[in-house]
Amino acid sequence: MAEAAAPQVFTRRASGLVRVMSPYSAFIYNILTMGIIFPWIWIQGPTNFEGANPTLAVFFAFLAEIPIALAYAWLATALPRSGGDYVFQSRVFGGAFGFSAVLGLFVIWILQWVALSGWLVATFALSPLFLGLGVNLEAQWMIDFGKWAGTANGIVVISIVNAALSLALLVSGFRNYVRVQFVMWYWVLASFGLMILLFLITDVGEFQAKLNSFGGAITGVQNYYATAVAGAEAAGANLAPAFALGGTLLLAPVAWTSLQWASYSVEQNGEIKNAHVFRNQLFILVASLAVTAGLLILLGLSMQKAIGEEGMIVASSGYWLGNADATLSGAILHPSVLGIALTASPIIIAVIGIGFLLNAFQIVCNCYIGTTRIMVAQGLDGLLPDWFSRVHPRWKTPVNAHVAYFIGSVIVILLFNNKFPGLDVPDWSTKWALGVTLANGLVFTISALAAALLPYRAKALYEASPGAKFKVGSVPLVTVLGGIGFVLGLLMCLAFLFVDELGLAYSGDNPVPYILVIGAVVFSLIVYFVMRQTKARKGIKVEYAFSEIPPE
Amino acid sequence: MSPIRKDGRSGGEPTRLFYACDIHGSEPTFRKFLNAAKFYDVDALVFGGDLMGKLLIPIVRSAGGTWRARLQGQDHHISTEEQLAEFKKTLQTLGFYWKEMDPEEYGDYEGNQEKIDALFDVLAKQRLADWVALAEERLDGTGVKCYLCGGNDDTQEVLAALDEVPEERVVNCEERVVPLDDQHVLVTVGYSTPTPWDTPRERSEEQIAEVIEEQMAGVHDPSRAVFNFHCPPLASGLDTCMKLDASVWPPAPVVEHGQPVYYGGGSGAVTGALERYQPVVGLHGHIHESRGSATFGRTRAFNPGSEYGEGVLRGLIVVIRGGEYIGHQFTSG
Repeated sequence: MAEAAAPQVFTRRASGLVRVMSPYSAFIYNILTMGIIFPWIWIQGPTNFEGANPTLAVFFAFLAEIPIALAYAWLATALPRSGGDYVFQSRVFGGAFGFSAVLGLFVIWILQWVALSGWLVATFALSPLFLGLGVNLEAQWMIDFGKWAGTANGIVVISIVNAALSLALLVSGFRNYVRVQFVMWYWVLASFGLMILLFLITDVGEFQAKLNSFGGAITGVQNYYATAVAGAEAAGANLAPAFALGGTLLLAPVAWTSLQWASYSVEQNGEIKNAHVFRNQLFILVASLAVTAGLLILLGLSMQKAIGEEGMIVASSGYWLGNADATLSGAILHPSVLGIALTASPIIIAVIGIGFLLNAFQIVCNCYIGTTRIMVAQGLDGLLPDWFSRVHPRWKTPVNAHVAYFIGSVIVILLFNNKFPGLDVPDWSTKWALGVTLANGLVFTISALAAALLPYRAKALYEASPGAKFKVGSVPLVTVLGGIGFVLGLLMCLAFLFVDELGLAYSGDNPVPYILVIGAVVFSLIVYFVMRQTKARKGIKVEYAFSEIPPE
Repeated sequence: MSPIRKDGRSGGEPTRLFYACDIHGSEPTFRKFLNAAKFYDVDALVFGGDLMGKLLIPIVRSAGGTWRARLQGQDHHISTEEQLAEFKKTLQTLGFYWKEMDPEEYGDYEGNQEKIDALFDVLAKQRLADWVALAEERLDGTGVKCYLCGGNDDTQEVLAALDEVPEERVVNCEERVVPLDDQHVLVTVGYSTPTPWDTPRERSEEQIAEVIEEQMAGVHDPSRAVFNFHCPPLASGLDTCMKLDASVWPPAPVVEHGQPVYYGGGSGAVTGALERYQPVVGLHGHIHESRGSATFGRTRAFNPGSEYGEGVLRGLIVVIRGGEYIGHQFTSG
């Protein structure tokens, strides 16, 4: 018998299906979601945990997130559908658990991120951008606007405009957002690169001189840096602490609040091209994590070189210890501000400032994109009113879910900034809001557990997935990775619960933040059982949405 | 089975339908479809078209009693009967057809599209006949009927297998008006509007409207009709898909600014029929990625989407009674 050439597949005329978002777009999406501009590790770490090394903390958080991101790759290829965490958890743990965990700990609490995004836009993008341009162009109105952007009123107005712009962009069509995302991506890269370059070519002495000039122009203080140092010491900062491994480990959960978002693209997994292909998910989830961690570590090292440990502690004292001398008329010395202080070029200032603005704006977009996909999935499953799942016939977007989320976000923006009419909620932004760190972290941690249990709780689904072939002995590799990820994630969540300087424990004896976290889950459970009863009266079981039919 | 007679009358026990479509030859998905009757406790199974698979894998015999085949971009060298059985099982899950052939026979087929299409028809018709037999066996004694029809991807030659069904449990509803229960009828139209893929059963809007009108001429009370129209209503949110460039083969996504362009790939004739006749519900498929529901006056229209390639049966349970829609539940099993 003659040996044939490699046989080809025969095809016929039949329609095909292609998905929307390229793996590269999803990769970018995750990096921008992780937010290389998130400031807390730098402005909180050096004074929150004496002797802690923020750069090393980023590395520890990266190590902890690796098994979680890998576990997500198994979930995302086994269930390449939109709704991500909700789909994973409901299929592994059942509808009541999956729905209430994801609605109560994720969808509701991400409203907080909309408010935080507005705060980032105001204080870390617009404020330094206008302060920097104002100083260099000698334009007082710009300095005044920069200062206003950092005030409570400024933050509220900017936050609502930020949310409204995102709403308009996203309901007008997802492809409009994706176009903007490409601009955001390249601009953020340019901005971040320029900032690191400025840090790398600057030594500590030069930094102090330039900060004196920049800070003096805004605040009128003659020897700004020395004044800030004195203020930090007066506030109790140790300017030359010994390295503390324990403090560094405790700072890792703060870095994890950024890096845990490596898996956020799974919320619109159904829109990602070839989402079921394992290497694509590794690229989207794990490579994006590695790139983000690498960029943050690079930022940390370059700041260490330019600013020095003392400078980083002083900058941090303006935020964490309330050292007003280490602010620029209230504006915190965040890396973008420090980078802008190092240049006299309005163009470089504009590139850095707009880069931070775009990344902060992208974060609010991510809040809408991920949560509305979950709401649509929950609406289709019959666990939220059908209204949430409706797609606008012209714009092809879930407009109802977007509008509902915008309304919710305006309320939280007002609460976050203590501007809710008739309701005085002191310390919302600094204490109560920290519930989000626990709530969101729990969702990722529970999904890691879902991944570990996938081979046992959804056997047929797992065995049909591309990750099923990877084993350690007779144990599925996803069970090992998911198990490790679950333990590491749980440690982070326990830190948010019980470490005084982190998360909910920071609220001291105030039980309200704890009640809010539990209350959101209880509220979601009530929604679940109400919807289940409503459906049951029509002769339908919502459990059918999560049940696997045996083929035999 | 419920001891209560389910006839869908007002005030009586509601009728529960399970609807799915676009399984494209996937064996486990079709088996799940049949099992849905018991699993979801429904009174009727309604299939919305696109039964045929899209790919045919030649398994070419090589020297030494081995086989070679290509699947999903990879060459497979199969050396044992067990591996061959496993490989065929994978093809069944994916909805692909296969044929073992000698290199000479493979050479006869290669590049001869007419001959390949004829082979597709033979294999698809056989699989459909097997499915009908399986449905009769599985549903025997249940009281559940299984309504089957074609979609735009199915050829007329293959659908001829439906003309030979015994009509005990399986009902050929292709382009017919058939009773669902004592109160409701099922109206089926399996055509789609033209696609960039130039599939076998595409029709112009005018032709689709004409077929719908012909069907509706036999319906006494449109408000008690269930529309089983493969093509979803135009620009309804049930028909959102990527715009494709038909000037290349296979059609490629139209990309602007690095991202695909979306549009509504449904039928205006279907929209018009839903608005004019106001049936109980509209059941649609065709656009796999556009799962959802839409409202046309009193009528709820649905597209459950499809993920047949993963062996997942996406479906929809609809409850109706006395010409009224009661409720629905999307499923993914």
